[in-house]
Amino acid sequence: MTAVLPWVTLAVCLAITIARIPSALRGENREVFYIFSLISLSIFISIEAPYLLIDGWLGGMNIGNLILRFLLYGTFYFMGIKIATAFGSASAVRAIRGPLGIAAAVIVGALTIYFFVITDTQGSSAGMSGLKWGPSLDGYAAMGRLYPGFVAACLIPAIWRTVVSTAPILLRVASGLLLLGLSLLLSSQLFPLIPFSEAWLRVLINYSAALFTCLGLAGIWFSKSFARRKQRLSA
Amino acid sequence: MPLPSKAFQRWLHGIAPDASTADVCRIAGIKRTTLAQQLVRGKVAESTLVSISRGFHINPVQALSTFDLYAELRGDPVPPTPCELVSQVATIDLLRAVVDRSEPGAAPAPRLSEPPHPTSVRNWVDAIDDGELRHRVSDTTGIAPQNFSAHLTANRLPPELAIATSRAAGVGPAGGLVAGGLITEAEAGWPPNARQEALDKLSQGRLVTLAGERLLALGKTLRRQEQDHERTERIWENLG
Repeated sequence: MTAVLPWVTLAVCLAITIARIPSALRGENREVFYIFSLISLSIFISIEAPYLLIDGWLGGMNIGNLILRFLLYGTFYFMGIKIATAFGSASAVRAIRGPLGIAAAVIVGALTIYFFVITDTQGSSAGMSGLKWGPSLDGYAAMGRLYPGFVAACLIPAIWRTVVSTAPILLRVASGLLLLGLSLLLSSQLFPLIPFSEAWLRVLINYSAALFTCLGLAGIWFSKSFARRKQRLSA
Repeated sequence: MPLPSKAFQRWLHGIAPDASTADVCRIAGIKRTTLAQQLVRGKVAESTLVSISRGFHINPVQALSTFDLYAELRGDPVPPTPCELVSQVATIDLLRAVVDRSEPGAAPAPRLSEPPHPTSVRNWVDAIDDGELRHRVSDTTGIAPQNFSAHLTANRLPPELAIATSRAAGVGPAGGLVAGGLITEAEAGWPPNARQEALDKLSQGRLVTLAGERLLALGKTLRRQEQDHERTERIWENLG
C-alpha cells in the first residue's frame, strides 16, 4: 500500500491542478493553481522512480533532495499565507510573513544547506534512505520537517474555528480534511520516535498529509461552486 | 419523538377504525414511509399526530391529551397570559403597532400574522421567565442549559420541553406548543382577537420598549449572520 499511496497522491494532486487550469486562465485565484502545481511537482520529485532519474541528471549526489526541500519550503510559505488570509487569522499571517516567520525560514534554509554540505551524500536514493545516517543527516531531515510543521501549527487554530462554526456543511467538511492533513503533517515532528524498521509509517503519514491537504483545498473550491450553483438555481 | 407507537395505534384505531394506513397518510398529507418508519422505531412524532388529527377534524390538543405524557392538556384550556400573547406577535407587527400609534388615522394595520414567527420560541420563554425558569427546566428535565439555549436560538421547541417549560413557569400548557409551531393559536383555545387585544392594552412606553428590545435582538442575530457570511466568503474568495 505504501508503494501505491505516493502515486495515488500524485494522481489526485495532478487532477486537481489540471481541473484548475480553466479558472487560472480566466485569472481567478491563480495563486491557488500555482500552489497545487508546486505540491504536484514536489510529490512527483519525491517518488522514487522520477527522483532517481532527475537526481541522476544532477550528478547523483542527492541535490534533487535539496531542491525538493526548498520547493516544499516555498510551497508552505505561499500556501500558509494564502490559507491564513482565507481563514481570517491576522496573527497567523503575521507569524508566517512577519519577522519571526522570515527568520525561521532563513535559519531553516541555511541549516538545511549546512547539513547537506557536511554530509557525504554520494549515491542517489529517494528520501536519502539509502545513505549512511548520522547526526548531520538527522539534522537535515529535522529541518525538512520543522518549517512545514511551523506553518501548519500557525494555521490549525483558525481552521478549527471554521470547522466548528455555522458555515455551510460542505465548507466545514472540506476545512476538516485540510485540518486533518495539516495535523498529520504536524505529527511528523515525532518521526524520530518511529523505529527505522517501521519506515513505511513515515511514508504513510507524509503522503496522507499531502493527500488530505489537497482534498481539503479542493473541497473548499467545490463547496464554493456548489453554493454558487444552488444560489443560481434558487434565484 | 416520544409517543409510544402502541398507544398511538390504539388512538388511531379509535378515530379511524376502518381506514388503512394509506388512507390515513393521504388524508393527513404525510408520507407513508415517514409514518412507517416512526411506527417501526416505536416512537411517533407529535407533529404526525397533529397532522392526522387535523385530517380527521379532531382538535390536536385533545388528541395529544389522550396520551399520558400530555395529560396536562386535558380539561378546559388555560387562557394565555397577556405577556404570552404579546410574545407571539411578530416583530414586524409590533413595529407596525408603534407606527400606527404615533400616526393614528393612517391606513389600518393588517391582521396580525399567525404564530410562529422567526423568534417565537425565545420570545415566549423570555415572556414567562422570572429569571430562574431555565434553571428549573434543566433541573426537572435534565436538559443542559446550553442545549436549551440552542433550541431557543434555532427557534425550536420540542413538544415535551414546551410542556415542561410551561409547567415550570406556571402558565397554561399549550402556549409553548403554539410558540414551537406544533399547533395554531385557535387549536390552543386562544380567542381569535386575544393577541391584538393584548397588544392594544400595552402602554405606549411598554410597546416602544418591547419593540426596541426585539430590534436589538434582531440586530444582534443579523450581525452574527453577516459576520458568518463574511467569514465564509473570505475563505471562498481566497481559496475557491
